[in-house]
Parts: sequence; C-alpha cells; structure tokens
Amino acid sequence: MTRPRRGIHRHRRAFQLTFLALFLVLLTLTVWPLGSVYLGAFLAADPLIAANSVTNGAVLPIMALALVMIALPLVLGRAFCGYVCPLGTLIELTGGTHRASRLSPKTRERLRRLPVLVLVACLGLMLFATGSFLLIDPLSTVTRTATVLLYPALDRMLRLTGDVLYLAPFLRPAVDAATSIAAGRLIFSTPLVFGMQLFALALFAGILGLSWFEPRLWCRDVCPLGALLGTVGRGAIVGRRVDTAACIECGRCRQVCPLDAVGPDFHSTDTSRCQLGLECADVCPPNAISVGLRPAKDNPAPSRRAFLGVAAASLTAGFFAYAGLGRRGRDPRLVRPPGAAQEGALLALCSRCGQCMKTCPTNVIQPRGLDGGLLETFTPYMDFRVGSCDWSCNECGKVCPTGALTALPLAEKRKTRIGRAYIDRNRCIPWADGKTCLVCQELCPVPEKAIVITPAETRKPDGSTVAIGRPEVVAERCIGCGVCENVCPVPHRSAVEVFALGPDELDG
Amino acid sequence: MERRDFCRLIGVGCAIGCAGGLAGCARALEWSQAQHAREGAQQRMAPPRAETPTAAPAEQSTATAVESEPPAPQRFPDLAVFTGTDPGDNVAAALTALGGMERFVGRGDRVLVKPNVLTARAPEYAATTNPQVVGALVRLAYEAGAAEVVVLDNPTAPPRQAFEVSGIGDAARTAGATVKVLTARNFERVRIPEGRVLTSWPLVTDVFESDVVINVPIAKTHGLAGLTMAMKNLMGIMGGTRGLVHQDFHQKIVDLNTLVRPHLVVLDAWRQLMANGPSGGSLADVRESRTVVVGTNQASVDAFGATLFGMQPSDLEYLRLAAEQGLGQTDLSALTIRKGTS
Repeated sequence: MTRPRRGIHRHRRAFQLTFLALFLVLLTLTVWPLGSVYLGAFLAADPLIAANSVTNGAVLPIMALALVMIALPLVLGRAFCGYVCPLGTLIELTGGTHRASRLSPKTRERLRRLPVLVLVACLGLMLFATGSFLLIDPLSTVTRTATVLLYPALDRMLRLTGDVLYLAPFLRPAVDAATSIAAGRLIFSTPLVFGMQLFALALFAGILGLSWFEPRLWCRDVCPLGALLGTVGRGAIVGRRVDTAACIECGRCRQVCPLDAVGPDFHSTDTSRCQLGLECADVCPPNAISVGLRPAKDNPAPSRRAFLGVAAASLTAGFFAYAGLGRRGRDPRLVRPPGAAQEGALLALCSRCGQCMKTCPTNVIQPRGLDGGLLETFTPYMDFRVGSCDWSCNECGKVCPTGALTALPLAEKRKTRIGRAYIDRNRCIPWADGKTCLVCQELCPVPEKAIVITPAETRKPDGSTVAIGRPEVVAERCIGCGVCENVCPVPHRSAVEVFALGPDELDG
Repeated sequence: MERRDFCRLIGVGCAIGCAGGLAGCARALEWSQAQHAREGAQQRMAPPRAETPTAAPAEQSTATAVESEPPAPQRFPDLAVFTGTDPGDNVAAALTALGGMERFVGRGDRVLVKPNVLTARAPEYAATTNPQVVGALVRLAYEAGAAEVVVLDNPTAPPRQAFEVSGIGDAARTAGATVKVLTARNFERVRIPEGRVLTSWPLVTDVFESDVVINVPIAKTHGLAGLTMAMKNLMGIMGGTRGLVHQDFHQKIVDLNTLVRPHLVVLDAWRQLMANGPSGGSLADVRESRTVVVGTNQASVDAFGATLFGMQPSDLEYLRLAAEQGLGQTDLSALTIRKGTS
C-alpha cells in the first residue's frame, strides 16, 4: 500500500544536493581575491570546530552560528546530518541507504555505543590542546579533500582540454578568452600542486568505504560531529512520535529506518540517531507516525567501564601530546603562514581544513606531512620552492575558521616576520661561479630591499678574479616571505633559503 | 539486462572512455611537443610596420630591420616628451605630436599593448605601468580603427593578481581591450638570428601575430640593468626560466631587442621609481614626474629616459651595446625631440 508522501522530508535529497552544491560553490569562491562570500569562517559554524577554538581561547563572532547548530538537535534531531552535511550526502550517494548490513548483530549493538566514546575521546584531546582529531571532522574533511584533490584535478583537466582545443586554430581566441576568465580561479599559472594528496585521499576513501560494512556506518557510529549532535539529541524535546493507539506493531518502521533508530517496541526512538528523514512515516500503514513533543526515547548508553576507559585513554593521549612527549625538535624549515598563532596554539586550533591552502594565490601554503608527527599533519606551512608569500595578499588569515591564522591588515602583514632568508654561498651563482645574477634582490618586495648587492672582487673556480655584485641578506629587513627562494634560478634547491625563526625572534 | 544495469554500464563506459580519451590526447600532445622541440626553434618575424608615413631615422635600417622606411612626406620628431595634469591626456597629446595613433594603427589591425606588470603592486608604488596610460592607449587604438586590442604581460606574481592589483586589468577592460593571461601554450621557442648570446628563447606568439606592437614600460631603477625602461620591458614576453637571463644580462636584453622591435614605444614616467627598483614598495622612493616619452625606437626612448634619472645614455651598458649594434640612435643631440605640456 502506498500513500502519497507528505511533508518537507520528501525533498530530502534535493536539500542534500543543494547544500552540497552550495558548499562547493563557497569553496570555489574561496580564492584570491576574496569577495564578500566565501566558505571561510562558515566552517566555524561546525560546533566541533567552534568548541575546539573556544576551549583553546579563540572566539570569533561567527561562532554564534555554532550555538544554533548545537541547539538544533533538541528540536530537529540530527537533521543536519541527513539534510545538510556534504560528507553525509557524498556517503549516501556512494554507499546507498538501504543495503543489508555485513556486520553481526552483536557488533552492531556494540557500535551503537561508540559515538559517546568518540566524543569523549575528542574532548580529551581538545582539553589538552591537541587539534588532530579535527582531521576526521566531516566538514573539514570535505574541504581538505576538495582542496588538495578536486581543484588540482580540475585545474589539470581544464588545462588539458584547452590544450586539445588549441590544436584547432579557429578555437584559439575562444580558448584564450576562457583561460583568461578562469585564470587564478580554476586554472593557475603553474598547475596547483599539493603534498599529502594520498593521505587526504586515503582518509576520504576510508570514510566512504565504511559504507561497505553498512550504509552510513560512518555517520551513525563514528563521525565526531554526529556524535556531538547526537549527544545533544538525547535531550530532544521534539522528535518522532508514534500514536500508540493507532499503531498495529507491524514493524515496517523499524525495518525501513536507514539509521536503525527505531526501538524494538516500535514506539520509542533513538533520538541520538534520528535524522528526521521520516521514511518510517511514509511506510506506516495506519499513518501513526508524526513529529511531536516529548518523543519516547530509546537511547543506548555505553558501559561505565568503557566510558571511563576511553576518557582516561584520551586524556592520557592529550596530555602526552600537550606535554610534547611525542614531538621531536622543530624542523628548521617549518615556516608558518603570516598571522599564525604560536606553534602550540596553532597545533591546538588548526582545523586541518586546508582553506588557507585553497585561497593562497601562489600555492606556497602546503599541508605539513607525516614527518612532523600526527599532531602537525595537515597544518599549513610554506614551501617556498612552490610559491612565495605575496606582498599584496593577506587572504589566508581571512579564511581561517579557527584563529590558528589571524587576519592581519595588509600593512601589518607586510611587516610580519615569518622567517629569515640565508644565502648558501656554495650554491649562489655570483658567490660560487663568479657570474652575475641578482634575481633575489630584484624581486625582494620589502620597501628597503632585504637583499643587497655588494660589489666585490670574486675569485672564480678557475683561479681568475672578477669584479662582481654579490647578494647578501640584511637580517633586520627580511620578513621571510620567500620570494628570493622561489625565484632563485639555481635548480631544484635554491641558493637562498628561508628558515623558521627561533622562539625568541618571533616577537622582535 | 535490467534498465538500471544498462544505464550503469553506459555511465561507466562513458567515464572510462572520457578518461582514456583525455589520456590519449595528453600523450598525443606530449608527442607532438617533442617533435616540435626536435625541429628546434621557430623562425618568426615581427610584422612590418603599418603602411603609414613614418619618419624613422635612417640609421635604424639594418639587414633584418622590421621597420620599413617608405619616403616620408611629413617629418615627425623622433621623440615627444610631454608633461601634463592627466596621465591619459598627456599620452594623447604626446602621440599627436608624433603624428597621432593613426600613423601606427590602421583599420582592422590587431594591436598588442605590452605594459610592465611586474608583480601585484598598487599603481602608487610605480612598480607597474600607470593604468591610465594603458587605458588611454587602448582607447586611442580603437579610435584609430583597431579591430582588437590585447593587453598582456608575463608577471612574476600570479597573473590575475598582478593585473588586478596594478589596476591595469581594470583600465584595459574598461577601455575595451582583452586582458590575456598567458599559459604555456602561448609561448613558442623562437630563434633570434642576430642574437650574440641569446640565440633562441620561448616568446609570446602574439607578438609576432599582431599587426601593431605597442610597448608601454614604466621608468624604474633596476639593480642589475641600472634602469629598466623600454628595452628591458621586453623581458615580459619571455617564458621559460627567466631567472637564467640574468647572466650576461645586458647583451641578452640587446639580443632580444634585435628581434622584437615594437612599432610604438610609450615610456610612462608619470611616476618614476627612483630607488629599490624594480619592485619598489615604498612611496618614499617614488617621484611624480608627470611625464611621458613617446617614440618609435626602443633605444632612443631609453636614451632619453636615462636623463629623467639624471643619468647619461652611456651610463647604461645595454644602451651602449644597442648603439654599437645599430639598434637605434642613443645620442640625444642627434634626435629631434618635441617637448610640450598638455
């Protein structure tokens, strides 16, 4: 028996696709020059990211949105997960909704108790200033994956398409015009490159792959944001209600629920799971299911032992990370973007979303690799052979949703020292080869150039001497933007390299 | 087979087909580029000057000079140096003294304007050509009958950023020009037959395909060149690893100028960067001279440009080499110069 479906939930897929499209549009607009609309701080509406920022002492106005988000499950269940979350949409599109589970009933019952534990683990890390757990935040994951995989792939495909079309001479003006429009937005003067692509891909594929065991297993049992919303959902005031008088206890609702949120008595609901998709209402023969006040609840609780165990483990792990026991000496080449918080605060705050990398017009901001340990993984750093910090740009701080990077006014950013350049006299062309070169000095952007050319009698390798200008760095003027390292014509490894400042130099 | 399966099969087939096709195209392109590289650099010539009366000095004539010299019914000065109150009007006035834009641009011509868009700097810093000067030239070219005006450069910053921050993108588009962002496919390795050191280099193909090339540099200091003006500005049409050009710098600038000889040279000195060039960054180094130098010969324009900095043409190594190789008259006393105000 089918009944015409009524209610807004009929359009759930449309909601999902719209929000996914909106998310990608906002992310696509997160590019130099930032207009008034871009993803940026919207990510701080993610209560998990906002909670982490607040815990670590960074408060942005946009976080008021996170307050709304966190209160929503009281009246709407986890509707965010089912209607809005872009990762949830991608998981549903790839993994389906109504497939039989490959897990044993016992495992399923255990997993049911997992979300609270995931949340406890996150809180433990949060308290000890360890932001690594945001690597599996759903919104951060989508942003990061699109930044390092989708846009570089798009860049290359558009470029290649242009190259192919360019073979037909009559199409060239059109290709040139299209390239000029897309330049700096979708196609970049040098193709976008990012490290850690395989890592991002593996993480993303792993999350999508969980659907193999059971559709939406990730959303239901693992996702930390889902766990947070679900925990609030336990106190739901509004939710799925069954008219017990009308109910014929046929069990279709329990059968059809993709989230397994209907209790064994068919009347109660696991309000920490229910996303108000209301598929149960559509199939209920007597039409006994509606949304109303004070729903009957059937929320699982983890055992006290498991709860305490995970709490202790996460606090220990957090403390371990906080105390720096896991950190090696700092990489001397680890230069952070301008406006970056102190190293410890940055590691605590950074949402690992990669938006700073997305918006950087020179591609200099790169994700930190695994060699810095899990704590540093995917935090931003500057790879000056890829690009350099442009003197007229301060966009990375504007898009940061956490305060890990502060938005510096341009005038201030131009004076902010992030590193210091050193000339390698063994590789520098005038110093080592006795030939003229001054590209580093030519393009040094600080008003009074930080690289000066000093004329000197230089002994060439063959013993002869030549009068030549040799570049030298004036330390007080250098801000570490890395233009010199980027433009140095010495191949592969530049003859002028920017190193991180010592802890005492940072303020000076 | 069920309909659903059939659709899925078609979908997967299309995806594999597209991926395969794209990969195939990529390989084919790579192969054709390799063939191209094996054949070596192309011989390309800048287009001849438009068929309008000119009065180019005789000493410009060299074996491969692209500047044809038909008998001159009217005598124009070699250089027009104007100062004024508006950058755009000033250029127009200077150009009128030189015979007007009609002398250079004919009806239906494709015009290329090459400003100096070194990097992303606001115009006040005088690191990039004044946008109003570029805008005025575009407008004048259209008024003279140009079919299309293209503004391009190969900046050191990301191109879109450089064009937008410098204001040149906006000014050019407002005047109706196409701002062209260059990618690898706009460059071709070109032979430079008269080059002494630089014998071939990847150059922007548009330079050779346009009917008229207008070079619009800004007057700045430069650590290695001394000053960067018209001749050095042509480095902006170079692709490849430009950092390598800086060895034997002066000769290479001259070599490039033996091949590419813009039809019209407009040296923007509305603002001059007096120190810390070419990128500048401090308003203290900027001098507002409200001047423009217009001519038809790169070396002659630069020779006068040197005087704007209180230098002599002979102070610049590349100008010495240019004169020696017959690229143009750098002796200011031998040039007819029309000075004026607008």
